[in-house]
Amino acid sequence: METAVLSVDRLNKRFGGIVAVKDMSFEVQAGEVLGLMGPNGAGKTTLLNLIAGTYSPNSGRVNFRGRDITGLPAHKICHLGIARTYQIPQPFTSLLVRDNLRVAATYGSKKGDKLELDEILDLVDLSKQKGMMAGDLATVSLKRLELARALASNPTLILLDEIAAGSSDRELPRILGIIEEIRKMGKTVVLVEHVMKVMVEAVDRIIVIDKGEKIAEGTPGEVMKDEKVLAAYFG
Amino acid sequence: MENFLVGLAPPIIKGILLGGLYVVIALGLSLVFGVMKLINVGHGDLVILGSYFAYAAMTSLGIDPFLSLVMGVPLFFAFGFFVQQFIINRTFRISLDAALIACFGISIIVQSLCQAIWTPFARSLTTPYQLHTFAVGPLTIPLNYLLDFIGGLAVMLALREFLRRTYLGRAIVAASQNTTVAKRMGINPNRVYSFAFAIAMACAAVAGVLQGLTFYFQPASGPPYLIISFGVVIIGGLGSMAGTFIGGMIFGLTQTLGGYPPGGSMLVQNIAAYLLVFVVLAVRPQGIFGR
Amino acid sequence: MKIPRLTTLISVAGLVVLALFPVIGIPLRWLNYLFLFFIYLALANMWNLLAGYTGLICLCPHAFVGLAGYTLAIGSWLGVPFQAGLIAGAAVAALFALLISYPVFRMKGIYFAIGTLVLPEVFKVWFSYWRPVGNIYQGMGAGYSVTGVGGVTLGDVYWLGLVIAAVSIFLVHMILRARLGLGLTAIRDNENSAASAGVNVFRLKLYSFVIAAFVMGIAGAIYYIYSPRINPTGGFDIRWLLMALMGTVIGGEGIEEGPIIGAAIVTFLTFLLASYGAWSLLIQGVILIVVVTVMPQGIAGLLRQVGVYRFPAKLLQAAEGKIYKNLK
Repeated sequence: METAVLSVDRLNKRFGGIVAVKDMSFEVQAGEVLGLMGPNGAGKTTLLNLIAGTYSPNSGRVNFRGRDITGLPAHKICHLGIARTYQIPQPFTSLLVRDNLRVAATYGSKKGDKLELDEILDLVDLSKQKGMMAGDLATVSLKRLELARALASNPTLILLDEIAAGSSDRELPRILGIIEEIRKMGKTVVLVEHVMKVMVEAVDRIIVIDKGEKIAEGTPGEVMKDEKVLAAYFG
Repeated sequence: MENFLVGLAPPIIKGILLGGLYVVIALGLSLVFGVMKLINVGHGDLVILGSYFAYAAMTSLGIDPFLSLVMGVPLFFAFGFFVQQFIINRTFRISLDAALIACFGISIIVQSLCQAIWTPFARSLTTPYQLHTFAVGPLTIPLNYLLDFIGGLAVMLALREFLRRTYLGRAIVAASQNTTVAKRMGINPNRVYSFAFAIAMACAAVAGVLQGLTFYFQPASGPPYLIISFGVVIIGGLGSMAGTFIGGMIFGLTQTLGGYPPGGSMLVQNIAAYLLVFVVLAVRPQGIFGR
Repeated sequence: MKIPRLTTLISVAGLVVLALFPVIGIPLRWLNYLFLFFIYLALANMWNLLAGYTGLICLCPHAFVGLAGYTLAIGSWLGVPFQAGLIAGAAVAALFALLISYPVFRMKGIYFAIGTLVLPEVFKVWFSYWRPVGNIYQGMGAGYSVTGVGGVTLGDVYWLGLVIAAVSIFLVHMILRARLGLGLTAIRDNENSAASAGVNVFRLKLYSFVIAAFVMGIAGAIYYIYSPRINPTGGFDIRWLLMALMGTVIGGEGIEEGPIIGAAIVTFLTFLLASYGAWSLLIQGVILIVVVTVMPQGIAGLLRQVGVYRFPAKLLQAAEGKIYKNLK
């Protein structure tokens, strides 16, 4: 279908003898929130890395808005409109919080197409910390900084890697709210998550991955009842 | 053409034998790199310090260089332990770059010390047997090169057995593979690092004697050995003793064969080794045998 | 007309005072000290740009210095006047940086350090055998003297040194406040994140590397106008790296005024201990280790932490306020 913003076609990635991603194919529609789910070590982060350009696949293609982006370097992919967060936050520790965003806004976005940094900081509840050094932030704030930085380049597609991990029950609704705001901005979201509440409430569709392969695809309701999924998680 | 090939035999033999020297130097560097992920940029200078130590023992006490190792090895071991324990371990708490700079400081100090005490004049360890050669068939084998080879084998085997059979050895291997697990097993990583560095220094003492018997040396002779031993480590691949041995042979051969063709001068001899290191670094830093 | 800040005025005034030194009869000995300070400062500033701001621990400054010096020297025997030889030398150093950037930036961390260390060693050997022009100067065999600089006085080289030192400070200052500085800091802190945020890591590293090579080349060439004899061991002497590294680390890596303080200390120590020969360098090595273990933020870092700047800064602010209020 031509409305697919991202399409992944038979991606394969091996590390030495280990197959991390095997024959992975799926599409992401414009404006949807797609969830990637699967047991630990299933290859979810590797898949994000392949899309974002951190790794090159051994075979297969990645298409973004009709353009083949397979094997392009990470910064080019950012310029084309894909941003990502890292599972373990990787902030620019010696820069101020606001400047962390400025890097992405200056280098990652197209001219004249920038988002207001202060609004982004407001969205992720980091306004009070904007003058602090990123290295001094509490760990839980770093995840939100990751998200803010990804937004700062004004991407079309945003890849979130376990953005809700470690959040308390109080913080979770806020995160769901943020994802909803991102959707309202017209952006497309692919998120990897273990926290079930996010999968069930924020996501339109889920793809379940186990041992590098896709084992199920569908709405949250469909996927949760799928036998293969239950087997993968509970043996 | 035939003469060319026949003439190749002596440099090839010499190259293989010389490889032993580079193996001993590389083993010290490799041990520290493997355990702490640190390249001691002063390693070459410490080897030269070993040569100077043997030289001092020789000129002031009249002792044979190998005999001086009886003093030298424990001294270097203790010195290495001290340096790691009180200086480098401290810098690890700051950053790996800080540790690198500290090693650089050690390099400066050792070079300056050697220059202050022994002047920039080139020295060598001269012993009655040093220039002896053997005749094996049509080939002449220099004794000092043979000693290099034997030394390389001996140190390599000794180190391998040490790492396999002693508690400390296995602790070192464990700490180099996984610090967290090692800690849970009750191993103090800092203490292990200190022993590893101490052993590396002991290797440097031995390497110094071998080096001094083979070549002339000056206070500034260290960096070339650092580069070559680094090359041996990355070609051979970290963690592979066989790889290190082969790496040593490769560099020994590069040196001797580089000087072989007439008109293929010392220029080629020295530069070939450096360029080999550079190319391997650029293309495949984990080495041919490395994981 | 925009009214410049007080600190800028003070800096410019300081520069003018320094520039007047040769003319007002400052003893030659001091001009010599200051000249070397300027050269070491330029080198340290560039090393700081590479290591402190881009995260590249570059161990080849002596390759840049030696290449520029040899270009100057060989050029002088081919009839190239030293003014052009200066620029040519820097250009050769920068070109070299450009050429090796592709293989060298593939190396990460320690591999990059050793990879760059190899280069000057190669040149040392190369220039021991390569003699494209016939001149031999007395004594050292493999070296060259620089010809055509007979009319250059100490005052002249002093000014050249002052210019390159000031340029190096200005360059770092401007880069840090520009887009490039933001990108370089991001690269230093986290290369992967920077790439994901759209930073072309290779290109920015390249800019940093080539700029540093050019400025270090100029500084080196100026030195060889001052001391117009070059040989392989001197031109590619690791001492150039040491002065750059020590100046930066002792002063404070990643801090703008670090190299100024560090280079001053290194120059001072070199001269104070000059009569002790090799012990001088040894003591500096000890200081390097002490600083990096006990005071890794460097002296400038320590000063900042302790808040030494707060009082003079407040004073300046108050003064600025008063002066500009009266002007309005």
